Amino acid sequence: MKRLSVILLISVLFAGMVFGAGQGEKKILHIYTAFDTGEAKYYIDAFEADTGIKVEWVRMSSGEVLARVEAEARNPQASVWHAGSNTSHINAASKGLLEPYKPDIDFTLPANFHAKNWDWTGFYTGAIGFISNTKFLKKHNISAPASWKELLNPVFAKNVVIAYPYTSGTSYTTFATLIQLYGLDTTLDWWAKFDKKSIMQYTKSGTGCIPMVGLGEAAVGIAFSHDILAKGIKKGYPVVMTFPKEGTGYEIGGLSLIKGGPEPELGKKFIDWNLSVKGQNLFQKYYRIPVNPKAKVAKGAVTLDQVKLIKFNHEWAGRNKDKFVRAWRDRIGK
Amino acid sequence: MAGGTVRLKTSLKEFRKLWKEPFLIIAVAVIFYFLIVFVLFPLFQVFKTSFIVKKELSFANYAVVFSKVYYYQPFLNSILLGLSTASAGTLMGYAFAFAITRTPLKFKKFFRLIATFPIISPPFVVALAAVLLFGRSGTLAPYITRIIGAYSIYGYGGLVLVETIAYGPTAFLVLYGVLGAIDPALEEASMDLGASRWKVFITVTLPLSIPGIASAWLLVFIQSMADFGNPMVLSGNFRVLSVQAFLQITGMYDLSRGSTLAILLLLPTITAFFIQRYWVSRKSYVTVTGKPTSATIKRVEWYIKLPVYFFVFTITLLIFLLYGTVVYGSFQTLWGVNPALTIKNYVETFQVGKNYIIDSLLLSTIATPLTGILGMFIAFLIIRKRFFGRAFIEISSMLTFAVPGTVVGIGYILAFNQRSVVFPFMLSGTAWIIILLLIFRNMPVGIRSGIAALQQIDPSIEEASTDLGAGTGTTFRKITLPMIAPAFFSGLVYSFVKAMTAISAIIFVVSGRWNLITVAILGFVDNSQYAQAAAMSIILIVIVLAALGVIQLAVNRVGKGVRASGLIGT
Repeated sequence: MKRLSVILLISVLFAGMVFGAGQGEKKILHIYTAFDTGEAKYYIDAFEADTGIKVEWVRMSSGEVLARVEAEARNPQASVWHAGSNTSHINAASKGLLEPYKPDIDFTLPANFHAKNWDWTGFYTGAIGFISNTKFLKKHNISAPASWKELLNPVFAKNVVIAYPYTSGTSYTTFATLIQLYGLDTTLDWWAKFDKKSIMQYTKSGTGCIPMVGLGEAAVGIAFSHDILAKGIKKGYPVVMTFPKEGTGYEIGGLSLIKGGPEPELGKKFIDWNLSVKGQNLFQKYYRIPVNPKAKVAKGAVTLDQVKLIKFNHEWAGRNKDKFVRAWRDRIGK
Repeated sequence: MAGGTVRLKTSLKEFRKLWKEPFLIIAVAVIFYFLIVFVLFPLFQVFKTSFIVKKELSFANYAVVFSKVYYYQPFLNSILLGLSTASAGTLMGYAFAFAITRTPLKFKKFFRLIATFPIISPPFVVALAAVLLFGRSGTLAPYITRIIGAYSIYGYGGLVLVETIAYGPTAFLVLYGVLGAIDPALEEASMDLGASRWKVFITVTLPLSIPGIASAWLLVFIQSMADFGNPMVLSGNFRVLSVQAFLQITGMYDLSRGSTLAILLLLPTITAFFIQRYWVSRKSYVTVTGKPTSATIKRVEWYIKLPVYFFVFTITLLIFLLYGTVVYGSFQTLWGVNPALTIKNYVETFQVGKNYIIDSLLLSTIATPLTGILGMFIAFLIIRKRFFGRAFIEISSMLTFAVPGTVVGIGYILAFNQRSVVFPFMLSGTAWIIILLLIFRNMPVGIRSGIAALQQIDPSIEEASTDLGAGTGTTFRKITLPMIAPAFFSGLVYSFVKAMTAISAIIFVVSGRWNLITVAILGFVDNSQYAQAAAMSIILIVIVLAALGVIQLAVNRVGKGVRASGLIGT
């Protein structure tokens, strides 16, 4: 049993090393990112190489980022919230968790692409679209859905996947789009039918439907066009992308400075860099639409002028989110 | 009144006995403090949060939860799923343990390996493999449809299947230790008196394994209730509470109501815990008495062998299929669509995840021995010592396990993000918060298997040591620990494996500096890079197996020939 004490001693020593390693490093920017691991690394590596600032980052969904920023409010551990739908940033801003910062940019950002007091700044956009499995379409000899109405076609019975509107920015954007097109009551009536007839299941994340449609587990999904392109079509899944002819909504990806974060100056540099031509050009790889007019747009990416957009009010959608989501859950019961 | 005086007198006597052992007093005091700070305090924070709506004390959350179908339906579903999975998982564990300890089954080491292997189940990928095999477009779906007709892997049935495979091994570990410890002489005596094998099983083997069965059942029940990796992928329209609590917090940023759902999730697990505790503790299960025993001839009638073998072979085949799919998938260019083989998934995984792997290894290596020792010591205190607050220690040490990981994680950041009266250090962002969470979250299994093992050992063996003048510490080290060494090392193995594969609580306490493999897997799954997630899972499995080999080496030296667990087939 003496060996046991040796093992114990070694593990305590180990622990000492771990503790020691945390000391004596400086000039490190801490951020929370809502981009997927691989994509986040792609941008952040470029930022590190470009500026020499070291970044330590954690990747979480925007919901998790918000929950964490809120829980850490008294002692913030990160300086920047990188990416995630702006509706989440708006929600955080309304809770007083963000620090206004007007980025140093040499172009004019449309007024609806940032908070009035610069609590958050938009840095990419993308529209909602449909993704359909081509094998399914061929088998049933139909074309991909091109309107909201077509989603109720009996051929898609129990075969459509979308995320929960309360967990996913993608799905909430879809819901808010329909409300802005038809009003809340009509939308809920439509969704109740949609839920009963067409829905196979809901997913947690907005991109969850893409591999399900790709693998043939479902026929149709609803997601952002850049995700459908990068995670569906370009990956090699047998899928096509269409847009509803009645009009569709779009998201604005947000960047914000966390109030009381440990490295505000480095954080500001990070935000500026993300809006620079250099940072914005990187979006080509993932088919996101840059907000900097001088940045290059990926070939095949769907810019907002290529589809029929509704006049989407993000501030309104963000502020009313709790109310609309509650109405959805009370009606649909899920 | 009289009863009260007697009780007072006994507790006074207990106290005096305790007073003679300063080591015990200090140990108990330290454990008390640890449990209060690292188990109760974070949960209290969650509990408090569930009663606070807009900064005011309120029961509103609870009223809402019981009136909305989208909250109470998942609650009922979770209970149904938990009951089913616990029963199926215990059955699986018992069948394997019985086949290995009580029948002339060939290749026992191989089957022991199979029965424990899914414990190294990284989150998500096994459920994803199930979709590839049995989903609507699954490889095996057409054949199964031909046999059993239309079915859906999404929902109750699929979840029971996958969770049984994932958590049955926990039951096996407990039951294998328990069945292995039952003295075969008892069964032989029964047979010599003319009982058939079936009669022996019903009247001797089964009753003696009841504490093990109850422990195993409870462990699987709790794991199933708290699981969210599998339901995330497979639940379809069968929505469960753990996922709802997770979604409420991470999807709706609603800490307050999410905490309420978590408290709701506690009710059935705690009920099960108490039923198990009182039902089992009323009987005696002592079989290891210190008297010499001899090995038994394992002869079993065909009507026992056949169903057990059939069950064991079916599960083995299923495990092979699922993990084979994960391995195969990790080499596919596009998981499930483009089967051209490639190693680029591994290259990419390594580039993105190198630091995650190093951190995971380091932190788990620190947490594991601490978890094992603390767990065994608490089990020893609970079973062998009478002192004030014993029940408190038993219950609170099991608590972190009964609460969904998300809530424990949230509780940890609520509790340790600032200095407090209870704990005057800042833990957020350090490696310590991860290590402590791993220790207190994985300890319960060590405690349970320690309790099950100790309940079978006659206290008179230890009393003999005490009578000869040894103190509690010496007795624990020299007598108890060697006797429960198998349970200790399976606890060690379990906590290492769980430390490497934990996700739901960990996601909340990882930081930019300290990150874990499972967080990388979650990232890959979220990004639907299934092949990369599979590759990372395979890397994780290889690391865990290698580490278990190292533990086995250590065991060979420390425990003089004791087996670490069935995980390594050597």
